[in-house]
Amino acid sequence: MRLLVTIVTGLVVAIAGVLLGAWWTPFVIGVAFGLVVTRPVVSIGLGAAAGFLAWLLPLLGEEVRYGLGPTAASLAAIMGFGHEGAIPVVLTLLVGTLLGLTGAWLTCAARSLVPRKSG
Amino acid sequence: MTLDPAVEAPAPKQKARVKTPAARPARVVWRRRRGRPLLNLAAALIVTAAVLYAAFLPAGPLPALGPAFNPTTGAWTMAADAQVTDRTLRLPGLQQPVRVVLESNGTAHVVAQTDHDLFLATGYVHARFRLFQMDLMRRQGEGRLSEVFGKAALDTDRFELQLGLLRTAQLEWSQLPVGDPSHAALLAYAQGVNDRIAEAESTHQLDAMFTLVGYQPKQWTPIDTLVIKGDMTQTLSFDDTPILVALINKSLGADLTSEWFPVLPPNRQSPYDPGPYPKAATAPIETMRAVSDAEAQSAAAAYEVLESLPKGLLKTEGASNNWAVAPSKSTSGGALLAGDPHLDLTLPSIWFQLTQDSPNFHVAGVSIPGTPGVLIGHNQHIAWSLTDAMNQQTFFYLEKQDAAHPNQYFWNGAWQTYKKVEYDIPVAGGATQHLTVKLSVHGPVIADRGLTTSVWWGGNLPSQDLGVLLRVTQATDWKEFRDALRDWHSPTHNFVYSDDRGNIGLISAGYFPQIAKGRPGLPMAGTGESDVTGTIPYDAIPQSYDPPSGFLWSANQWQVTPDYPYYLGTANFYDPGYRANEIHRVLSAPGKLSAADMAALQTDTRDFLASEIVPVLLQSLSSDQLNPTESAARDMLASWDYRMEINSAAASVWWTFWQSYLGETFDPWWKSRAVKVKRADVNAMLGQDLEFWTLTDPVNRAFSAPGVGSRAASDAERTAFHKAVSTLRTSLGSSPRSWTWGRMHARELTNLALVSDLSYGPRAERGDGNTPLAAGGRISTAGPSWRMVVDWGAGTFQGIYPGGQSENPASGWYTNLVETWWDGRLDPMLSADQAAATSGVATWKLQQ
Repeated sequence: MRLLVTIVTGLVVAIAGVLLGAWWTPFVIGVAFGLVVTRPVVSIGLGAAAGFLAWLLPLLGEEVRYGLGPTAASLAAIMGFGHEGAIPVVLTLLVGTLLGLTGAWLTCAARSLVPRKSG
Repeated sequence: MTLDPAVEAPAPKQKARVKTPAARPARVVWRRRRGRPLLNLAAALIVTAAVLYAAFLPAGPLPALGPAFNPTTGAWTMAADAQVTDRTLRLPGLQQPVRVVLESNGTAHVVAQTDHDLFLATGYVHARFRLFQMDLMRRQGEGRLSEVFGKAALDTDRFELQLGLLRTAQLEWSQLPVGDPSHAALLAYAQGVNDRIAEAESTHQLDAMFTLVGYQPKQWTPIDTLVIKGDMTQTLSFDDTPILVALINKSLGADLTSEWFPVLPPNRQSPYDPGPYPKAATAPIETMRAVSDAEAQSAAAAYEVLESLPKGLLKTEGASNNWAVAPSKSTSGGALLAGDPHLDLTLPSIWFQLTQDSPNFHVAGVSIPGTPGVLIGHNQHIAWSLTDAMNQQTFFYLEKQDAAHPNQYFWNGAWQTYKKVEYDIPVAGGATQHLTVKLSVHGPVIADRGLTTSVWWGGNLPSQDLGVLLRVTQATDWKEFRDALRDWHSPTHNFVYSDDRGNIGLISAGYFPQIAKGRPGLPMAGTGESDVTGTIPYDAIPQSYDPPSGFLWSANQWQVTPDYPYYLGTANFYDPGYRANEIHRVLSAPGKLSAADMAALQTDTRDFLASEIVPVLLQSLSSDQLNPTESAARDMLASWDYRMEINSAAASVWWTFWQSYLGETFDPWWKSRAVKVKRADVNAMLGQDLEFWTLTDPVNRAFSAPGVGSRAASDAERTAFHKAVSTLRTSLGSSPRSWTWGRMHARELTNLALVSDLSYGPRAERGDGNTPLAAGGRISTAGPSWRMVVDWGAGTFQGIYPGGQSENPASGWYTNLVETWWDGRLDPMLSADQAAATSGVATWKLQQ
């Protein structure tokens, strides 16, 4: 139950942060997962998922409100990928995912160096 | 990315101990246990650092990925920016509520209760749709492109700071009286732009290009507006012709250069002001003299500087049309006016279409984003358009220096000290560059190798053109219009005029520099005797009002006959005149003309030069041995109507022949005399010569270049024709009927940020550089940037430009006007009330 609350809280904060313009929030939430969730594989997965969702959901919101097709095609053109609109979408979600993932991974890796208290 | 196994599957220490082979030395096991977390941390640190670096900081051409691509405040916001709906907005600085109606095609109608609010709202609207373009234009003129685009823009920045658009704009602003209406207009406009910048920053709706390039626009100032005016002046009037002629002179010699680059055009022109002219005692233009080695060296240095600049920064060849027709020749019974200024065609366009209504302004037309007024358009009583007048506004001076007088130059009998202006140029991703600009009495020094070259340029004369423009938009008759233009300096324009009482007029307003003595077509001595002494008196500049012919026209041609007493420039400053001749041919034909005829003439594809030369060529070919392909090509020319249409194969034969004919005549000279200027840079002038010789002097010595023996024009024509057919067969196949013009010729509307996938085209296009529908070159990137037709009899006003009102490529208003323009159609120019009654409009209520 405690883990579930942690996950939900982390996701909500990550998404709210991104919606408020703090696009780096997934990294902070990833760090928080790394501190709170003891199993590295779980915390890193949660960090990645939080980053992915925190950037995906606002993007979906934009798609529903305005339609992102022309924007995606324009961004692809500016980036030199012709009109392949999928590329900026993938790149965007990748950035969000990596922010969450690296936050959690870095924290887990640092924690693994700290000796556990016996007993 | 692969995670360290220790992270992917962290094993409990106890369990790992059990799995450890008993034979393995204990020290190795210990090292592995201690080593894995360290390796894991190192990997995590490296990957995290890389991710955070890429997220927070730009790397090479990539922007910082976090702010650039996050879905809430990054470039994705261009989707929201593309939506235009009814809104109520609060704008600081407004005095009264303002209504902005946006037609379904994006045309904006600003209705204000005070003149101040009109310009404030115009600034807001411009910035709402074109802020990045406006910022680019001010950065270009102020030498600040490197600050955001890096060292690739340094040459441009250095040149602009040398030339001095910023210095001139600062001077203009400081000299503008506080009580002048244009002073108030500039301040209100800047406030409107800044209101939009503040709004966009607070709502994260800045144009995506700011996000992707990674910077925020600075506050807008009146000086920025004046710099943008300078940008346009530079594009239309800064001309390197004397530098080119000096280099050609050094290679070809003064004799040939004088003959091939004359003061007066050699070919037949159609001046709109045939005189009589006022008598004047003007200084005679000296004959062409030989250029010395030192002069040639300094010309080469200046040529290098100017050649390194991006295309479109300086004046190249002129190409704009306008004309007016009196009621006596109009089917509607009212005066007609048509105008299509030709500029680089970009996305977004240089133009933004709008109407402005306030207590003292009721005007419709096109404006330049960054400036508060309508440049071309109509009000309730008059309509006007403009073309470049083309007169010489750039004079180069060779400053006399001496090692005994460092940092000085000799002028008017005494040694003068150069003024110096210091600039720091910030460079993105590099060190700030320092620039020292030296100024003589003539202007800035632009090259310092060989002899020191400075430049006098009309665009550097402080000129309150905005005030002139505001008075033009308020004029109600010819007198007010002409009086307003009295203070217009640069660039010199042919302003065509018509009004609701059936009057038409044309005046070449601006500064026409006159010199005391010398040869202004070459760099001149800077010691004082060849200085600019003033301009042609206003009453003596080319102009015409209600002529007996019933029509007036300009297309960058010579405005006057050889009897005109004042110096305007040399022939190669001007257009060869083929578009003007064709327009004159159509307008002077018997019968009356309608607005539809005006629109048709704007897209006329008849090549006047071809109509002169092809009959001569056919005559020359009549005695020639032709193979079947050549015969077929000749037969196509024989039945051709001289129209450069996409489906015309004869058009391709003509165009390829003319290029070949130019090469056949002049390339042997260029090669044998090692001319350093690219022939293509002076093709317009050489073409006039070739036209003249072909028609009236077929044994001119130019046809007998070194190495080709004695020839006449007909010999060169035949050789050029054979080569042209061979070229076409090689590039387009063996069937002459398939050599259609559309396979050889296209047009492109270039994205302003040079993102090729956001450009339009290249798409097969009709016309060429000689036709009223201007489309020079194989892939034309310049042409009719705005077309307008006014019929005062029918009360109709129409216009169109290639592009759209928004610079946002995700917007439906990015290219929505292109198809209409491409087809040669026009959209009605509605008033605000008419627009409000149409469907699909959005209305903004702007409040304090």
